[in-house]
Amino acid sequence: MECRVLSIQSHVVRGYVGNKSATFPLQVLGFEVDSINSVQFSNHTGYAHWKGQVLTAEELNVLYEGIRLNKVNHYDYILTGYSRDTSFLEMVVDIIQELKKANPSLVYVCDPVMGDHGAMYVPEFLLPVYKDKVVPLADILTPNQFEAELLTGRKIKSEKDAIEVMDLLHDMGPETVVLTSTELPSKRGDQFLVALGSQKLRKPDGINTNQKICMDIPKVDAVFVGTGDLFAAMLLAWTHQYPKDLKAACEKTVSVMHHVIKRTITYANEMAGPGKRPSPAQLELRMVQSKADIESPAIVVEASVIQTS
Amino acid sequence: MECRVLSIQSHVVRGYVGNKSASFPLQVLGFEVDSINSVQFSNHTGYSHWKGQVLTADELHVLYEGIKLNNVHHYDYVLTGYTRDTSFLEMVVDIVQELKRANPNLVYVCDPVLGDHGSMYVPQNLYPVYKNKVVPVADIITPNQFEAELLTGKNISTEKDAVEVMDLLHAMGPDTVVITSSDLPSRLGDRFLVSLGSQRHVRPDGSRTTQRVRIEVPKVDAVFVGTGDLFAAMLLAWTHHYPNDLKTACEKTFSVMHHVIQRTISYAHELAGPGRRPSPPQLELRMVQSKADIEDPAIVTEATVIS
Repeated sequence: MECRVLSIQSHVVRGYVGNKSATFPLQVLGFEVDSINSVQFSNHTGYAHWKGQVLTAEELNVLYEGIRLNKVNHYDYILTGYSRDTSFLEMVVDIIQELKKANPSLVYVCDPVMGDHGAMYVPEFLLPVYKDKVVPLADILTPNQFEAELLTGRKIKSEKDAIEVMDLLHDMGPETVVLTSTELPSKRGDQFLVALGSQKLRKPDGINTNQKICMDIPKVDAVFVGTGDLFAAMLLAWTHQYPKDLKAACEKTVSVMHHVIKRTITYANEMAGPGKRPSPAQLELRMVQSKADIESPAIVVEASVIQTS
Repeated sequence: MECRVLSIQSHVVRGYVGNKSASFPLQVLGFEVDSINSVQFSNHTGYSHWKGQVLTADELHVLYEGIKLNNVHHYDYVLTGYTRDTSFLEMVVDIVQELKRANPNLVYVCDPVLGDHGSMYVPQNLYPVYKNKVVPVADIITPNQFEAELLTGKNISTEKDAVEVMDLLHAMGPDTVVITSSDLPSRLGDRFLVSLGSQRHVRPDGSRTTQRVRIEVPKVDAVFVGTGDLFAAMLLAWTHHYPNDLKTACEKTFSVMHHVIQRTISYAHELAGPGRRPSPPQLELRMVQSKADIEDPAIVTEATVIS
């Protein structure tokens, strides 16, 4: 498999977020990963302390220039995640536009990280950049419920709402949309959360089809960091493997997440000791230990097809 | 296996040198790898063009501070390679010393990158820093012949010279020394180069022994970048699994190198086409494609125990 990904995300010295979360699993699955580190921090910002340096939009451009001057600016995928800087994000958009001109088949996988549980955790003025510039270029989008609502201006209170929101997101650009988590009630009870996906495909005869799926995902009683980054990377990998079968791609992706998270929570609780809440350091994803699950995830979550047209 | 490595090396967006060369193989072998990127460049400096930014000694210190403030500055290994900056190198030494205080069993694997084939390719003022400060805190070093001669002030013309040079290097600090390549003639002919290794042990009764090995390594007709970084990382991994058996550790390490290089050269020639010399992008190590060899290298180079 000759497949090259350009991933523009954070780097942390210790732990698994951003490029640290995305790179190893993609490499393990055989992807060539070129990575531009948007920041270098000691660790993620959920620890008591964090220190480091950020890359400016200009420095990003300089790095891209190097790639371009060597005529190696050919990618099959781009992957982006958490960003705090509008000029940086705008430079990312410029780069993607140029890379799409170099390879019109390029797939841009975008996690439009803006917030969760009703609140933004990036500067507000990123929203118009995502809405007007980033999402229109994206081919695969992985918003959570809050981000999907922000981007479309519509609230999600029912599965029907979720379907309409995903269709609105398709209209904005991406053919594949996965709502990575919602507050919709799961028919399996309150130990589960609901995720949904929608994929528009153009058949050779020119007719559009659409597959929508729904998944009930076991909730975990812990706050993880880096799981969204792992999710987007694995969705990239499994939609690459199953480009016309979102159900299969999501089952693989969500299953990998489950295995990594289970292993992590077990280890974290072991490290913390009985009755103690694990610390951020202890909750770092057990990434290298999960290599076998990453390579070949046993399916533990089944997606239901809720709509085809 | 709970084993955490701090690797302080370059990052390149594209390709496999420095941390890009070391991290994936170590992670594939189950090591936790914390990485401080000393630079971020578009690609290695053997391409026609390269662009990027460097980390200052101060910025390195700031990153380390973050780790320390969170009380997670506990490492089993530190790994360093190519550096161009004396103040950066001196900050690395300070960090290694502090990490050794935090964990006296820490093993510092150091590739003392100074030059090759008779000339230095880093600033001259790095040489005294390596000699007086870095090598004394190193536990495993992987100099080539030129670097070993430079550090000890002794030339290597025979195997006997090489053994003496390795003993001199032991006296400077490291218990494990691997001269990764030399100009010594191989008993298998001129398609091979000679590498040597030496490891000092202290027996339970307090007496010292030294195991010395010699490896005949097939030459390859190409210039690779990043292979030294991969070598040091894999020597770290295999000496971890065989701490008292340098022979086996070297066989594994040199064998991995062979598999990765063979795969790389085949692919590079395929891309370049018949009769054409492959370009630097085409010669990038086929790292992710070599995962199975990295996990479980078939032994293709045998080490001979000498003296």
